[in-house]
Amino acid sequence: MRASDLDELFAPEVIADPYTYFARLREIDPVYWNERFQLWVITGYEEVVWLLRHHELFSSAIMRNSASPPYPPVDPEDLPLFDEVREFRADQLVEQDRPEHLHQRTVVHEYFTPTAMESWRPFVRDAVAELLDELEPLGRMDVLTDLAAPLPVRVIAQMMDVPWEDRDYLRELADSILYMNRGEPYRLRPLTKGMQGILDYAAPLVEERLDRPGDDFISILAQGEKAGIFTRHQVLVNTGLLLFAGHETTMNLICNGLLAFIRHPDQWDLLVADPGGMARLATEECLRYDPPVKSTQRIAADDVRLGGATIRKGDRIRWIMAAANRDPAIFQDPDRFDIGRQPNPHISFGSGIHYCLGVALARMEGQEVFRALAERFGRFELATEEVEYQPSIQFRSLKSLPVRWETRNR
Amino acid sequence: MTRRLNVRVDHARCVGNAMCLATAPGVFAHNDQRQSEVIDPQGASEEKILEAAFNCPTGAIRVESAESGEQLFP
Repeated sequence: MRASDLDELFAPEVIADPYTYFARLREIDPVYWNERFQLWVITGYEEVVWLLRHHELFSSAIMRNSASPPYPPVDPEDLPLFDEVREFRADQLVEQDRPEHLHQRTVVHEYFTPTAMESWRPFVRDAVAELLDELEPLGRMDVLTDLAAPLPVRVIAQMMDVPWEDRDYLRELADSILYMNRGEPYRLRPLTKGMQGILDYAAPLVEERLDRPGDDFISILAQGEKAGIFTRHQVLVNTGLLLFAGHETTMNLICNGLLAFIRHPDQWDLLVADPGGMARLATEECLRYDPPVKSTQRIAADDVRLGGATIRKGDRIRWIMAAANRDPAIFQDPDRFDIGRQPNPHISFGSGIHYCLGVALARMEGQEVFRALAERFGRFELATEEVEYQPSIQFRSLKSLPVRWETRNR
Repeated sequence: MTRRLNVRVDHARCVGNAMCLATAPGVFAHNDQRQSEVIDPQGASEEKILEAAFNCPTGAIRVESAESGEQLFP
């Protein structure tokens, strides 16, 4: 690779295999200045973790603090739509700094504690079983559309406490919101339509639950509004955040994990030998090896030294968890998929004050899916020559994952 | 003067983020379940312990004065 090629974050070979590319960057400089996109790319584990634990130096309020246009570029006539995206995203919890972030997170994190999420396990287990009951006799599926996408929508619909028959519409909204991190030049159109759809869909639900709260997630947000911590707009866009953040990430965990197993049949056999016992560690290794989210952003809130570099106030930063998870300084034989790996201090959920709110849910969904698949199926085979990924720098999202298996008589 | 503290980690909340281990390594360590445990409540300064509590993403750390029982965090 020539030096100038090292700045091509969206090159097809980088989208197909980010690991080789980011490993090369990490070797050159774990705190690398990308001249072309005008941002820092952080690939070293220690550097990423240090950055995430210094929230006072690195702001999460990207939409408020950065005037940069969307990248990759969008159709020029669609640029005004980006203001709508900005407004929507700027009010979400993930874009807040302290002190607001702390107040808001305190409202919602009660809902997502490991203990609270554990009570959802039977629901998740049943939902997985129901989906697999239908798929198992067929001998083939697209893991993405048949399993990985419907599962989180079912869970989220239940968490929002919305009618069962709304699931298809929620899935449609969730699918539009997925354009958030895509590369298509026309993406702002379906995206803003989906965002407006969520605002319209959630508004009457919030209104209703302000006065008659249930134990669902929208009621939690509505009570936060009543307490003066959230504005109405914040309640609505955070409802959208739940739908989005809980959807794409879980989809990717399931698809990328299963693909890793297909490519490492010895590891699959280990899981099949003890699905209940191995599901927890296996899920962690799937999260490390090919994480649902490759990278995310910060903006320097001050001048700061990181590694050998001086980052200036206002500089944009991309920290690459997919690279940090393969840092040989931390992980022995980092490119090896090893479901027995322990300890496994991957940072696929981030670190610091913005550590993934849905971590306990994501883990549980992964554990239940991998466990159920290993209990029911022999080996899977890829039913395609090649897999393709969405051209996103943020998400590691397969476009589809067709697989087949030998059906057995039960 | 350093006062003695009671430091507790609520395992219903802890998600194993390890931020407290980084801030006050003498005080917190991970158990087998990757949840934080208090190994020595005097293992760091009060300031560091309160910083760890304040920066815990799930608010799992509670700190009080051992003598007076006064709640220092949250």
